[in-house]
Amino acid sequence: MLQKSRKITFILAIISAIIGVMLTVQLRSSLDPVHKESRSIAELRASLQKELEKHKNLLADISKYNQLYYQYETSLSEDESLSVMREELARNRKMGGMVAVEGPGIVLNIVDQVYDEHMMDEHVPPPVIGGYTIDDEDLRWLVNILFANGAQAVSVNGHRLISTTAIRNVGDVIQIDTRTVQPPYEMKALGEPEVLLSALKLEGVEEYFQLSNKHVIAEKQDNLMIPANTEERYIRFMKTVKEKGDS
Amino acid sequence: MWLPLFGLIVGLVVGFLLDWRVPQEYSSYLSIALLAGLDTIFGGIRSFLERTFNVRIFLSGFFFNTLFAAGLAFIGGFLGIDLYLAAIVAFGVRLFNNLAVIRRIVLSRWINQEE
Repeated sequence: MLQKSRKITFILAIISAIIGVMLTVQLRSSLDPVHKESRSIAELRASLQKELEKHKNLLADISKYNQLYYQYETSLSEDESLSVMREELARNRKMGGMVAVEGPGIVLNIVDQVYDEHMMDEHVPPPVIGGYTIDDEDLRWLVNILFANGAQAVSVNGHRLISTTAIRNVGDVIQIDTRTVQPPYEMKALGEPEVLLSALKLEGVEEYFQLSNKHVIAEKQDNLMIPANTEERYIRFMKTVKEKGDS
Repeated sequence: MWLPLFGLIVGLVVGFLLDWRVPQEYSSYLSIALLAGLDTIFGGIRSFLERTFNVRIFLSGFFFNTLFAAGLAFIGGFLGIDLYLAAIVAFGVRLFNNLAVIRRIVLSRWINQEE
């Protein structure tokens, strides 16, 4: 008899556990329903507005705490931040062309076309030597191609190009910034050699320079040195804008 | 005697921990199943007090009633007939009936004891 009643109570316990689970599930679902959207647009908009407000506040909080965090960080490691600044300065100098850089890249030599006898067949019209010369425009175009395809540093006849460099015709010669460059032109560009070479090919550089009887010899080099820009540069006409929240 | 109560508490805790949520369109089925379960429980208590308690009837009643109530409501939803209303009414009536009988039995026992 005792055995049986124990069994019954056990079964009752299991049943009540099931009931308990069902109760809580029901309670949960009705208290916090997984609802499908049944609110009107206006209501939705209002709640969206509220949420956006909350979001904005949270973002403000985040930026506040970030600032605090930054302050703590800097006060904790003064010399570390100094090294970070130094690193940044070195990087900027490198990007601004104030130091010599080296790396893989390509060298372009623009030389006069040499004509052999066998090239002189009837398909090719006889070249007009000295008929065309290379303009500033051509050099600019070439430089642009190089920069557009990821060249990090470019120099023309040993003159490093920077962001304010001008390439222009002055009389019969081409000036880069304040220096005259004379043919033959030699360009060096640091960048992915394959990409640069294929970009030159794609843009039709070879054919274009052939029109003016020039021959472009492009070769890639694993370790190319590009000198620093030697122009005197002054900062005039510009001031740094102090922005709030600039860290 | 405390074991069923303990089971109920365990069930509640497990339910809270599992954190299941039933989508609203199915919550009516669950509520009907819950009603059927409660009805069976009270029916069991009543039969226990009347000394006609049978485990098999109780168990089969619990599962069968629950599932059938939910199934009926489901089919009703399919057919466009609010069959779950019928289930709610039936189970509700039975629930109150059982409660009344339990109350009467308990009261009469209490009065008998007093005398």
